[in-house]
Amino acid sequence: MMARVFAVTAVGVGLVVLGCQSRGGDVSGVGNSIISGVRQTVNRINPDDVRGATTELDEPEEIELGRAVSSALGSRYKLLRDDPLTRYVALVGNAVAQQSDRPDLRYYFGVLDTTEVNAFAAPGGYVFITRGTLLLMRDEATLAAVLAHEIGHIALRHHVETIKTEKQAALTKGIGASALRVGSGYIRGAAGSAATAPLHSPLMNVLADGAFNAVLKGFSRAEEEQADAVGVKYTARAGYDPAGLRDFLRAVEDGGKQPAKSGFVAKFTATHPGTDERLRDQDNQLKTMPAGGRRAATRFEQRAMKPPSPPAR
Amino acid sequence: MTRTTIAISVLLGVVTAPLAAETTRWVERTKVDVRAGRGSYYEIVETLVKGDPVDILKAEEKWVSVRTQAAKTGWIYEAALKAAPVPPGSSDFLKSAPGDISTSRTAASQGAKGIYAQGYARQRGYDYGVVTWIETHQPDRSQMEAFLQDSGEPSGGAR
Repeated sequence: MMARVFAVTAVGVGLVVLGCQSRGGDVSGVGNSIISGVRQTVNRINPDDVRGATTELDEPEEIELGRAVSSALGSRYKLLRDDPLTRYVALVGNAVAQQSDRPDLRYYFGVLDTTEVNAFAAPGGYVFITRGTLLLMRDEATLAAVLAHEIGHIALRHHVETIKTEKQAALTKGIGASALRVGSGYIRGAAGSAATAPLHSPLMNVLADGAFNAVLKGFSRAEEEQADAVGVKYTARAGYDPAGLRDFLRAVEDGGKQPAKSGFVAKFTATHPGTDERLRDQDNQLKTMPAGGRRAATRFEQRAMKPPSPPAR
Repeated sequence: MTRTTIAISVLLGVVTAPLAAETTRWVERTKVDVRAGRGSYYEIVETLVKGDPVDILKAEEKWVSVRTQAAKTGWIYEAALKAAPVPPGSSDFLKSAPGDISTSRTAASQGAKGIYAQGYARQRGYDYGVVTWIETHQPDRSQMEAFLQDSGEPSGGAR
């Protein structure tokens, strides 16, 4: 089980992740085998397929990495296959995302079936929020704020810079350098047409492992602050009360005083002691913004707090 | 051709040439979706790839209405376009695919479509069904438009 809570600061998001071992395997501990796999794969690449890769990361690649990270997250946690709830979260998320700095990116939202207080932004527009996080909320403005923070990471391309750095590191350190030199390389997956069959790309796998680890590890303090700042703006532009993020951080903090929730929050505050500062930042930012905006508490209660729907296919 | 006609033609040439240059833009990203409205939840009208030219019809809030070479109209985010011609290009992942994908304009326009992520998930033992489920359980255009018209407050009304 997960052992570590990296919470969020993200929503500072109260990202509370307990534990660090995943059901799908601890990716951080298999680096050598991955590298080995890369080299073995590269040896089988046809020279005719050699094409130079760059340290750049374009949007289709980012989206593909987002899918890979989402599959990893969905294996570490259980995806809540509740169609009405998922669509509701996505409606709120898209309303905010359209006010972001990347409104042209297609965003996808999912709910993870865990009581952990947590939210994740995967590359390429994939956003996850846990059931435990929803339980801490009282209205739609707060949900919008948490999603806006995660969208902020994506809109500001925080993953992209991290992944590009990894790509560059792979070149300079020689890790997977042969793969980069000859292009990504590929191995055909299951039988089927070349256009649809799964393909194994050593470069893709290395970068996806790195992106997944980065998502679990959390972003830098500076990136969290940036996501806080832009997230509040997106929320306000979408017509919501921009105080939602502050309210959520307070809820996380208050949760630490409740025995039933203190375990999560204690780890959160121990590993991310910046909650007080972030709350102060929020108070300062809110002073510069027009007060007001909708909270939509009734709709949130009706659509997010109802009993789970039967599993949708 | 009369002198007057020539004069008019020259004048039109002078006037329209710069205008045409100003209203043509080129796709600067590997892949860009032309959508039916100003938002990523609108249907895709056509997908363009790096280097494709479009004619600008109008601009609204960082989005531009365009006409493609296939004579389709829709909206593109302005930042995806450049005022000067752009050479074609593709993703590193796509470059690494078999020849019929890496050289295929259709495949490039569609992106990797999850084939590499599926390969990754299979190799790592992850459940790619999570991605498939999420991608097929998102609100459509009509649901988004109805949601944006509803304040969510008991009193109702648009924002």
